[in-house]
Formats: sequence, structure tokens, C-alpha cells
Amino acid sequence: MNWLQQWAGYLPQMLSGLGVSLFIAAVAIVAGYPLGLLLSVMVQHRNLVIRTLGLAIVEIGRGAPALVILYLVYYGLPKFGIAFESIQAACIALVWNAAAYSSEIIRAGLQSVARGQTEAAYVLGLSGRDTFFRVIMPQGMRSAIPGLMGVAIQMFQGTSLAYAIAVPELMKSAYNIGSEDFNYLQIFTLAGICYAVISIPATWITVYFEKRMSRHA
Amino acid sequence: MAKSTPTEAHRVPRLGIQLENIRKHYGDHVVLDDVSLDVEPGTVTALIGPSGAGKSTFLRCINLLEQPDGGTIRVAGHTIEPGKNIAPKDLARLRSAVGMVFQSFNLFPHMTALKNISFPQQRVLGRSKDEADERAMQLLERVGLKDKAHQHPGRCSGGQQQRIAIARALALDPSIMLFDEPTSALDPEVGLEVLAVMRELAADGMTMVVVTHEMQFARDVSDTLVVMADCKIIEQGDPRAIMSDPQEARTRRFLRAVLER
Repeated sequence: MNWLQQWAGYLPQMLSGLGVSLFIAAVAIVAGYPLGLLLSVMVQHRNLVIRTLGLAIVEIGRGAPALVILYLVYYGLPKFGIAFESIQAACIALVWNAAAYSSEIIRAGLQSVARGQTEAAYVLGLSGRDTFFRVIMPQGMRSAIPGLMGVAIQMFQGTSLAYAIAVPELMKSAYNIGSEDFNYLQIFTLAGICYAVISIPATWITVYFEKRMSRHA
Repeated sequence: MAKSTPTEAHRVPRLGIQLENIRKHYGDHVVLDDVSLDVEPGTVTALIGPSGAGKSTFLRCINLLEQPDGGTIRVAGHTIEPGKNIAPKDLARLRSAVGMVFQSFNLFPHMTALKNISFPQQRVLGRSKDEADERAMQLLERVGLKDKAHQHPGRCSGGQQQRIAIARALALDPSIMLFDEPTSALDPEVGLEVLAVMRELAADGMTMVVVTHEMQFARDVSDTLVVMADCKIIEQGDPRAIMSDPQEARTRRFLRAVLER
């Protein structure tokens, strides 16, 4: 049978899987980046307890494979009476992952802002809050944008791990279809195309931003 | 020596600066060794000397951008003993009473020229946006850059950026202005635009302390010339007198090096 015809038949189920994948990725980004900003401030905090806590969260999030965190949240936490739906567990694990990775990118962005900016804010008498939110952050985030877009792509592809705890995302949809008629080659090719259709244009946008940034630097 | 009468622009009481026995070191490395200086209100003090003499550090101690390790600072009516805790509120008041202009301008690149000048007024002095914008436009006009109001600093030349930076500092109605080598990053020709604004400011009676390598400016505009070398003030007084007849060998050596360039 023609591949295209087969794909057309698979498409509705695949698109619903893709929707779930995009949803999880969106949650990871929307919740993960603000947390990443918070963590980036924590790891630079002068208070040792706050700094250590921030470092622990970041290093676990970056050091442990996302799948390990996913299993810990889904299978481990119920031991403490905290149980999540599979899709919730996937979101939590990926938010942690996104927060940890983005915090390092944001920290580097914030630290790249010239010291003179802080000094200028200081001599004008701006408060620490205004200095951070109105002077340093807008500039630091700007140079962090390409890196953060890279994390977004990584998160989208990372949603495929949620397959391991039976979240009906793109990989799970593909696997279900494959196990019905054993056309694994066709269906996983289609799954790959689905990931690529999102990821590759996103990469182009990232490259575009990187070029634009370097031009204005 | 008092200069021309103050204009109505200076509603703030005019207060000078007294620095007594300022000491500063980084580890074993001494940067300022018991430096004292009096700046009378309404006067211009030029700080010159070889690099590494401690001029910039000394200037930065005035608004506590650097914390001295010892001594007393009396500036714009506030007395500060380094090492003692200063209430953040007092510190903020001190900082807005003392304006500062940097060698590298340090404008906020993500804000337009207008916003660079208007935003601090709103946050520090609590002015309304309209009021702050109006004051910003006045000052831009005063430094000759009204047409740059809606440009970002990246689209302005170095001399224009420095003039915007001066306007930004003036917008907070400081009683004292500090300049840290304001023209050193500029082409000589462009530097003249900036010096012209500073001359005007001095003529208006602003109290100014200027770290500079511009000998002509120091001679023509300053009331007091202060020569620093090796972490100390080695000579101070009337700029013309010092330049034509320096008392210290070190001053002579430095002046010869600068003037023969």
C-alpha cells in the first residue's frame, strides 16, 4: 500500500498525539522559564542556604536524565502519598528540566550585562529591584533568547520521554498505531516527520535570532 | 573662590564635599593613602595625575561606589563614616544628590534617550511621567540633542551619548556632579562637544569634581587643580599657578609628559 495513503489514515490519531506533546512542551516552557529566572537569581544569592538550595535544584535537573526524574515523580512520589496523573508527572519532570537548563542560560545572560550598567543604576539612586527588573533583566534576557529557544526545542523533543509513563503523546500514538498493523517503519517515519516539522523551523528561527543578536552586539 | 551667582535651577541647598583621611586598599595593595579634600560649593575641582594614582577610586569614594576602608565623607549634607552601616534610604538620597558621569557613558541601551533621562526621575524622585518627560526634553535641548529624544543610545555617537548621560544625571537635580574621565573614550573633536556642556554647567555654578586628562579644560574651567600621584594628593591650588610653576618634582614630570604630547 502507498505510504502517503497510510499516513493519511494515521494522521488524525497522530495529530492528537502531537497536540498532547505540544501541550506538555508549552507547560514546560511557560512554567520552566520563570522558574529558571528564579533559580538563576538563587544560585547567585549571597545567602548560603538559598544559594545551596538553588544549586541543588539546578544540578539535579541538569545532572539526572529527564527519564529518571520522570520515573521518580511518577513512581517514586506516591510512596510519600503524592500521586500524579501521568500527564501531570510528565509536566512536572519537564518543567524541572526546563527550569534547570534555562536558569544556566539566563544566569549567563544576566552576567553578560556590562558592570557599568549596575554602576549607572546605582549612582542614579535606583533601587535594587528597579536595577534588576528594569535595567539588568531586559538586557540579559535579550542575549539569552537564542539559548532559551534551543531549550524550547529540546523540551519539545523531550516530551517523547512521557511515552514511558503512557502519556498519549506523539510517540505513544505512533506506538499504538504500529502495534495494530505492525507498519512500524511507516509510522515511526511519520512520527519523526512530525517532530521535525516543528523542530527544524524552530531551529531556523533560533539561528535568525542569533544572527540578529550578534549584529546588534 | 566663589563663581558666578547660582541660577534658579539650583533650588537644592548648595553643599560642598569634605573628604577626610580617606584610605582604601585591596588586600596589601594600597590605593588611597590618607587623602583629604575640601570642595567648596559652586566650584570646579579638576583631578589630574598619572594613571594608577588613585584619581578614579577617590572620585568613586565620594558617592560610595567604592567603600573606603577609613576616613570621613561629608557630601551634600550627609556625613558618612565608612565601615558603619548606612541606612539604604540615606544612601539612596546621597546617590541622587550626587550625579555621576562615566568614561563609558553607561546609558541604558534598551531605552530611548528620553526614557534614559525620564525613567530615573519617575523611580527615584517620584515625578509623574509627563513631568519627567518634560524635564528630560528641556535637558536634551540644553545639551543640544532634542532631535535624538526617541533614538536608542546605540544610534548616537559617543559624544552624543555622553551628553545624554550628563542630561540623565542633571535630571535628578543633583547638588554635585562627578565626572570620571568624561572625554577619554571620545575623539578629541567629539570631546569638545562634551567639554562645552561641562563649561556651561560650571558657569551655572554647579559644584563639580572632574577626573580628566584635558589640561586646557582643567586650566580654564577649574577653580582648584588637584594633582594626585602614588595614592596621595601631592599638590593642589590655583590651576594656572600649578601649571606654570609646579612645586613638586613629580608634578613637573607629569605636566611635562602631558603638555609635550
